[in-house]
Amino acid sequence: MPLYPDYPIATDRLTLRPFTRGDVDAVYAYRRREDVARYLFDVALSREECALAVQQRIGQVALEGDGDKIILAVDLTKTGSVVGEVSLILRSADARQAEVGWIFDPEYQGQGYATEAATAILDLAFGAGDIHRVAARCDTRNDASWRLMERLGMRREAHFREHALFKGAWDEEYIYAMLRREWLGRESSFSAPLRAGP
Amino acid sequence: MTSLILPIQTDRLTLRTFERSDIEGLMAYHALPSVQRYVFSRTRDRSEVPDALNVMRGHVSLQRPGDTLTLAAVRRGDQALIGHVALHWSDATAGQGEVRFVVNPVHAGQGYAGEALGALFDLAFDHFRIHRVFARSDGRNHHSIKLMQQLGMRLEAHYREHALFQGEWDEELHFAILDREWQRSTKVKDLPVRNRVA
Repeated sequence: MPLYPDYPIATDRLTLRPFTRGDVDAVYAYRRREDVARYLFDVALSREECALAVQQRIGQVALEGDGDKIILAVDLTKTGSVVGEVSLILRSADARQAEVGWIFDPEYQGQGYATEAATAILDLAFGAGDIHRVAARCDTRNDASWRLMERLGMRREAHFREHALFKGAWDEEYIYAMLRREWLGRESSFSAPLRAGP
Repeated sequence: MTSLILPIQTDRLTLRTFERSDIEGLMAYHALPSVQRYVFSRTRDRSEVPDALNVMRGHVSLQRPGDTLTLAAVRRGDQALIGHVALHWSDATAGQGEVRFVVNPVHAGQGYAGEALGALFDLAFDHFRIHRVFARSDGRNHHSIKLMQQLGMRLEAHYREHALFQGEWDEELHFAILDREWQRSTKVKDLPVRNRVA
């Protein structure tokens, strides 16, 4: 079960790789934004906080035990610009459960990069990671995020209303999920509609 | 919060904390395979029932998050123990409570569980000021699912294979109801027709 992926992971247009100390400014460019932070558990970050976050991410490259995280920078391969980050968290090694997440720089929106990067992280989870079920969660108002989950073929499993406080107000949360057999079953027909989008 | 006043009387039941003398009544159903089929903390056989009773005898109030109140449901006429209901205070900041229940199969199908849970919901919302009550159920437990719906709970989550439950992939449903959604017992809930919104 331990997962030590080979980096970098290349897709058609993107490169997924571990963070390095040189990424602080690129991360600050999107994590400082209120519109990016709105539906994250974090608030918008200062540059110092970004430096700390990047420092932490440098070591988050493998999964061994419950709670371990892989967080990867997503580069546009052609230019080397960081367009965002994707994460894979091991929730239960016993039941082979994981959670995916992503944060993308709005400057690069609308070009299918998030779908492409999320597809790569799901491939990693269900492929080398041998995960049985991958879940993702988001605020119900975060349309971009749950629409991405649906594009990936994830099913909406939960719609919680007021089951916790989020930033001082009652929350409303979706949980989406996908099983290994669903991911493997859909792969053949996947690449065509991927770029078309709605 | 005013102090908790027990026992609670419903039309046909008395709800009170467990007593040592309940051991025979509890022995009659608690270790039955059909009762244990879908519960979270298992009592494997009759030899474990006294321990289970001891634990439940300690569930006398909700003082801090993590506490559970477990009430024996006793039929008013003959004092027969027909089952028990529990309210678990899972989160204080967000006012979250979870209910669980068990009915002796001999007394199933007569609406006792719904009657006891109705009183428990009154207690949760009116006395303990819980904001949201939820219940979890195995996807195959049709009696429980039907009961949740009859009580006006909404299906919020349907997890597939998100954990191993008693050695197999689970299917778990979450039902929930908010304080403003709960219809109080018939004696107080009816508004004059002209004041009704819907």
